[in-house]
Amino acid sequence: MTNTQPEIVLQVSDAVALINQTLDFAYPVIVIEGEISSFKVNQGKFVFFDIKDSGATLGCFMMLFQLRTALEDGMRVQIVAQPKLTQWGKFSLTVREIRPIGEGSLKRAFELLKTKLQKEGLFDDARKRTLPRIPKRIGVISSTAAAGYGDFVKIVGDRWGGVELIVAHVQVQGQAAAPQIMRALDYFNQAAEPVDVVAILRGGGSSDDLAVFNDEPLTRAIAASRIPTIVGVGHEMDVTLADMVADVRASTPSNAAQLVVPDKTDTIRQIRRDVGSMVRRMDIFVDEASARVVRSRGTLKEGLDELHYDALKQFAHLRTVLTQLNPRTVLSRGYALVFAEDGSSVDGERVRSGDRIRVEIKNVIIEAGVTNVTEKSTR
Amino acid sequence: MSQKNLHDKLTELESIVAMFDDDNLAIETALKQFEAGAKLADEIEKDLSELKTKITVLKEKFDTAA
Repeated sequence: MTNTQPEIVLQVSDAVALINQTLDFAYPVIVIEGEISSFKVNQGKFVFFDIKDSGATLGCFMMLFQLRTALEDGMRVQIVAQPKLTQWGKFSLTVREIRPIGEGSLKRAFELLKTKLQKEGLFDDARKRTLPRIPKRIGVISSTAAAGYGDFVKIVGDRWGGVELIVAHVQVQGQAAAPQIMRALDYFNQAAEPVDVVAILRGGGSSDDLAVFNDEPLTRAIAASRIPTIVGVGHEMDVTLADMVADVRASTPSNAAQLVVPDKTDTIRQIRRDVGSMVRRMDIFVDEASARVVRSRGTLKEGLDELHYDALKQFAHLRTVLTQLNPRTVLSRGYALVFAEDGSSVDGERVRSGDRIRVEIKNVIIEAGVTNVTEKSTR
Repeated sequence: MSQKNLHDKLTELESIVAMFDDDNLAIETALKQFEAGAKLADEIEKDLSELKTKITVLKEKFDTAA
């Protein structure tokens, strides 16, 4: 048989390009489910693995930054990919998105990423900040349609009120959710008028729904937030990596409301207790002061009594001394006082025979005449 | 009434209450502080009763990269 069609001769590169064009037209995107094998990361940038089932194996390639979950061999996944023939003639799937499938794979992916982030210290208590005691402005990242969001708003209002809630409405499930939450978080971190805390909220859901909050880039973005974060996702039992990395981990959106603002009733009770304790302290102060006055008065009286006693004692002593010094006291012991006639004391130099003198003894005064004056021997 | 004031008032009340733990606090000071504390407590209760939540939903869309 003779081929009548004109033969088209292509260069190799053109052939590859043509085949890729055809593939792109036929399968712009293809979703494949299977098991991962030969997973590896090259140069910290490129991810290579095979996706296989019992009958076939396909090579896959993706950039590491596009990988939002931890992978390992044996994990069941769905990939969203574009088929491609490489310039080396190898068929490969360029993967855009990858999601673990089934409880087992989700759990495994969660554990793998958790271990990795834990090693990096992202969950360490030391890097967690405390939230302001009374936040003025709270950034809320949630779906405004979600029940968890409504609970949060209601409880914040009931407990405290007086808070400004700035709400970023985002999807909280599905593939679009994590990038949206990250953009909202970035918005709050860049805002000219910053909020005091960012609350990321989502009510309960299946583990598939909550998988958004185990997304690696999102978890890292929460860890890197300059504004303190609180994450309240799912029900009490649910643990997500976003929870674990947040500054404050709330079990539910309602719990987040309880943790983010104080309770008005508690605060009023506390200030009343404060006033009560001040009143009691004032009573004690007054009692103590009165007791001191009473004590001081007692001490003062004791002091005075002692002073009085001392004075009396000294007075008695002085009286004795004075009594002994009184010249008339000497007369009672048999001595005599001699005066000149005019009552002045007798001057031994001037007294002469014939002078009149007065001699005073114990009980009489004798008037007498001097008959002789003899100088006493000095010996 | 601004929220910041309320926060400041609560902090001030707490520091007044803490002063009363000091046994050497002079009675005149205690009396003055007690009056200030009681006044603050009344104000805080009043402020708390007037608090209202304000909600602003951002117009920004987060579904595409900025």
